[in-house]
Amino acid sequence: MLDSVKTWRVFLQSAWLQASAIGLLATLLSLNLGAIAPATFAAIDWTAYDSWLRHRAPIPVNASLILVSRDQASETEFGAGQWDRAVLARFITVAHESGAVAIGLNHRIAQPSQAQLGGAASDALLLEATKAAGQVVYPFELESSLASDHTVFGHLLVHPNQDHVVRAVPLSAELGAQTVPAFGLKLFELARPQARSTITDAAPLVNYAGDGSLETLPAISFASLWDALESHQDQRLNAWFKDKVVVFLPDPMPAGTWSLPTGQVVTGSVIHLHLLNTLLTDNRVRRLGMMNSNLVTFLLAGLLSWFLLHARESQALAFAGALVMAYGGLLMVSLILAHLVLPLALPLSAAALVFVGTILWRYLTAGQRMELLERDMLRVQQEAGAIREALILRENRAEALQEDLDQARAAVAQSTGRQEHLSRTAETLRTELVDIHVQEEAARQKLDDLGRELAGLRAVAGSSSKLGDAELEQLRDECRRLGIVTRNHHLLGLFRDLKKGARSQLPALLLGEAGTGKELCARAIHQLSPRSGKPFIAVNMAAISPELFESELFGHVRGSFTGATMDRRGYFELAHHGTLFLDEIGDLRLEHQGKLLRVLQEKTFYRVGATTPTTVDVRIVAATNRDLQRGVSESWFREDLYFRLKGLVFRLPPLGNRQDDIKLLAEHCLADQARQLGRETPKLTQEALDALMQHEWKGNVRELRQCLEQAVALAERPLLTKDDLRLQAAAPVAQSDRLRAPKILPEPAGDAAVLACLRLNNFDMQATAKVIGWDRSTVTQRLKGLCFQALVETGGDKAHAAATLAGDPSLTRTVELKLMDYYEHLLATIQTFATVEEALLDCKRRFKNLPDRHFQSVETLVRQQFSAHPSPMKSHQA
Amino acid sequence: MAPRLLLMVLLWTCFVVRPSVYSSFAQTPDEQAPPPVIIESPPPTPPVDEPLPPEFIKPEQEDIVVLLGQLRENVRSAPRSADDRLKLAEGLYRIGDLDATIDECRIAIGLKPDHARAHLQLGRALMAKQDWRSSLTELKEATHLNPALAQAHYNLGTVYYTTGNLKAAIESYRQALALQPSFPDARYRLALVLKLGHRDQESAQFMEEAALSGVPQAQYFLGNAYRTGQGVEKSGAAAVYWWTKAVEFGHQPAATSLSHLRRQALSATQPEKKQREALEAFHAYREKLWDDFPELTRTDDSETLGTTLLKHNRADHAVPVLLQESYALSDVAQTELARLYEFGWEPHLAPFDKNLLTCFETTAGEGFVPAKKILARIYGKGIGTTPDMQKAKAQLKGLPKPDIKNVLDELSVQP
Repeated sequence: MLDSVKTWRVFLQSAWLQASAIGLLATLLSLNLGAIAPATFAAIDWTAYDSWLRHRAPIPVNASLILVSRDQASETEFGAGQWDRAVLARFITVAHESGAVAIGLNHRIAQPSQAQLGGAASDALLLEATKAAGQVVYPFELESSLASDHTVFGHLLVHPNQDHVVRAVPLSAELGAQTVPAFGLKLFELARPQARSTITDAAPLVNYAGDGSLETLPAISFASLWDALESHQDQRLNAWFKDKVVVFLPDPMPAGTWSLPTGQVVTGSVIHLHLLNTLLTDNRVRRLGMMNSNLVTFLLAGLLSWFLLHARESQALAFAGALVMAYGGLLMVSLILAHLVLPLALPLSAAALVFVGTILWRYLTAGQRMELLERDMLRVQQEAGAIREALILRENRAEALQEDLDQARAAVAQSTGRQEHLSRTAETLRTELVDIHVQEEAARQKLDDLGRELAGLRAVAGSSSKLGDAELEQLRDECRRLGIVTRNHHLLGLFRDLKKGARSQLPALLLGEAGTGKELCARAIHQLSPRSGKPFIAVNMAAISPELFESELFGHVRGSFTGATMDRRGYFELAHHGTLFLDEIGDLRLEHQGKLLRVLQEKTFYRVGATTPTTVDVRIVAATNRDLQRGVSESWFREDLYFRLKGLVFRLPPLGNRQDDIKLLAEHCLADQARQLGRETPKLTQEALDALMQHEWKGNVRELRQCLEQAVALAERPLLTKDDLRLQAAAPVAQSDRLRAPKILPEPAGDAAVLACLRLNNFDMQATAKVIGWDRSTVTQRLKGLCFQALVETGGDKAHAAATLAGDPSLTRTVELKLMDYYEHLLATIQTFATVEEALLDCKRRFKNLPDRHFQSVETLVRQQFSAHPSPMKSHQA
Repeated sequence: MAPRLLLMVLLWTCFVVRPSVYSSFAQTPDEQAPPPVIIESPPPTPPVDEPLPPEFIKPEQEDIVVLLGQLRENVRSAPRSADDRLKLAEGLYRIGDLDATIDECRIAIGLKPDHARAHLQLGRALMAKQDWRSSLTELKEATHLNPALAQAHYNLGTVYYTTGNLKAAIESYRQALALQPSFPDARYRLALVLKLGHRDQESAQFMEEAALSGVPQAQYFLGNAYRTGQGVEKSGAAAVYWWTKAVEFGHQPAATSLSHLRRQALSATQPEKKQREALEAFHAYREKLWDDFPELTRTDDSETLGTTLLKHNRADHAVPVLLQESYALSDVAQTELARLYEFGWEPHLAPFDKNLLTCFETTAGEGFVPAKKILARIYGKGIGTTPDMQKAKAQLKGLPKPDIKNVLDELSVQP
């Protein structure tokens, strides 16, 4: 199963594989089509060849071929019907004596001569003449008294194509129990015995001279031959027959039965004579065999399919057209220059099938390809994360080694007695350091590569999911309908995801600062979901008194407690089949979290005082401005509840991140307010607008709205100035969230700046050092100090300390790894000392670059360690 | 023509003297063979016979007309006589009225169903009409009724051959020969079908017997066989001999073959080997001619048989032999003949004999130089012809210059 999935994935990713498969399929289908309509296929297949035959310049007729045929004068001389064989015998004799190299007699010899045509005497004369001539080729007869060792038979069969047009002649045929060569071939063999081996095709194409009729071949009449014979014109006879292939056609020529590509209708014997001419002139036309035709078709179809799959639609069409045209050109060129006939019908039909098939295939697999692309992105992201971790470890190790080296150097300076040992250690450490540096460099390289790949994938994914203008406009309209006023791309993108997610039944978690529009979004989810016709119940979890929590949410039955005078339905029941919006979920008490979790899991609950459970179908949308992940790590929020709520997570951006929306929102608010007050909508001066844009809106949209409402209420003019807004002076620059350090952070600006820079660079030491312009080890020392300080301040809670330093949850793990490593290294270092003082002395030396404020944290940690484990585990000497 | 005249006379005699000779024969088939004159010269396929010269046809036709009148009279007087009917049918067949022949034969058979000769005659008439199936039935019936009817077997052979049954044809001809050993035409036919059955040796043997019996076609084929060595030992002399024999009967293909051989011997364009072979054949033939006259001996190498016979005043043979030798390219014989042509040989041969002139013309046309010179002299001097120097000079064309000069000198001194 896994293999087939893997294979499918490989298949979908490889255009060549898909093209080959489509090409193969198209070839097979074309072959089947050919079997269904063979005549049509044959006619199309030979179109180019036939028109070439008809329109080309006439080909030469071999000079060594001569026919002797009947004409009017001959019939006057010898009669209209069959002729006396004694006469034929004389003709054969004279041709032989005049030096003919091969003689053919197109005369049926199955029946003996009739008495009036000379009877047995004439037959005997023909037999004698045949013997004297050596070998004479006759049309095949199964039985004949005239057959002898000197009588050679050749068949007059032809090989019509499916469209009943004769283009080829079989070189041999099984007739009776004999293998009979073709009439034309046998004559050729007699004339050129050594050239026979060059003919390998079983049924070669006949290269018809002229229009393929008998008249196009050189001929003399029997009457003129008889004249020359009777008047002993030896020279004339020699000119006719010397070294020639002579074919006598004494019998009356029947009406033709076979159609030629040139449109003529002729007899089999005429076709064989043209075959003879083709062989004698060695002007043969070759065609591809069945296998080669199929291969050519497959290649063309495959290539075409590749073009269609690989290129963009407009280009693909042009490429495909060009390819088909190129094949047509190749077909004509090969026919004209190389006399090679390439298949036409099969490739054309395959091309048509490929065209349709590829478009269908693209349409059907578009979704799956996108999915694969996303998976790839995810995989690369994971790999990048793993590599980053490895890089951190290596960096740390390098740092540790550096410290050890420094330590060792110091030791060398102090103790000459241990110099040798220490220098060895130093050497080892240096080697290790170099190794680690190399590994680090490799890891960094790998990280860069992955980064590039990720960027590429983002670009691909981004291009496919980028919002078009039309879509943006549509989204903006939809937002406006739902009360969300924005033209911010990020928010519109979030809205698009929200729209998609709304259709599912997953719970949604809305995160964002106060006033960023969490409830609006919750309502939007409800409106866009299939539950839009059902109730939407919003509950502020912070506003419910702890005592009434269960009663409010689950309801109660009459008499269940004092004051419960009647049954009451809770919010869950009220929201049955609808949506329950749990606002400020981060403020829910821990004991209530368990109860809520149970309902979310079981979908059932007991009203207060009830003995039977109530089952509800409710979609939960929760919202909070608190960091629930931090809540989990700080244990004020249940992890299982967090994961239960976190079906779809939407982070709403603060207004500070949507500067472009401020103007829009302001206008909207002003219009709204003016409408409520029944006044004309006031306008903002540019100065006022700039002030709004520069102001730090801690309360986000809510604060903005309040500010404008106040301005409208107090203003007397329709134009609002900066003063009308009554903005309180605030920090001039709205700093990014990351830089707004929590209380736990070290106060001095230096540390804050370094930490901000580290966060910006994802805690990459090298990058940070480059940005600040420090040495890397200095940055590392500073981070170490920050880590130790955070550890002291959080009372040794590493996760908490790491989260505090990281700021962004995605960086927490990175910081945690570093922190643990620094701490463990510190512990390992002080382990070797017997007393606190010795350890501190060593630390002083080791962390000589550390500011004093941080060294205090180190001291605190060392002392804590020694107080926890008063007796050292190892002696200094060991 | 002689056999036909003989047959006619015989029929007439039969009719007048012994009208029941055939009927008695038909009734007693085992008694004896039919009269040899009929069997020796049967017309195998009368309709395809060479057309007769008009001077011969007229008297014979007149005779046949008279004969037919008499035969009809006989039938009228005895309408239920099968024999009379048969005779009338044979008369009608002779003049080529095949339909009437068939009618009369059918009436005769109706009168006497076991009349073998009537069936034979009907079979022959049907053969002439190319109704091979019916003729086969009739001829088979004839042989069945009278197995000794050699003529019927002979005709049956022909029918069998024509219908493609070579084996049966050979058997029928053999049967005919067994019944009538002196049947040269049957022998010739048997030889032919044996040849077509690729039994060359046997064929050559029968062909030789037939040739000896004077069948010109057999002589021609035998000549061919000797020329190519089919079934016999190859011999140019024998080939010339037999072809010459056939030519004596006026057999045209044989004359063509001989002419062809002479051209081969005389043509400068022929390969030397072929030329030598042909010349040797004629020479050997001329030598072979001496064998017919054992009483004569050659006294001088320059003498030929013809000149020797002339010397011995053998008037019966001298000129024919000289002609044969001349045709066989003997310059001595031709010179002698030229003399005989100019002066004659009283009383045996008048001067300016056409046959001699034909001989000169033929051989000169084939390239025989002595003949050309003789002819130039005859034309130039006007010996037996009107003098025509143009014709004379035309004959000398292509000869060596001294020869031409000699002849022209001789002609110019002529008064």
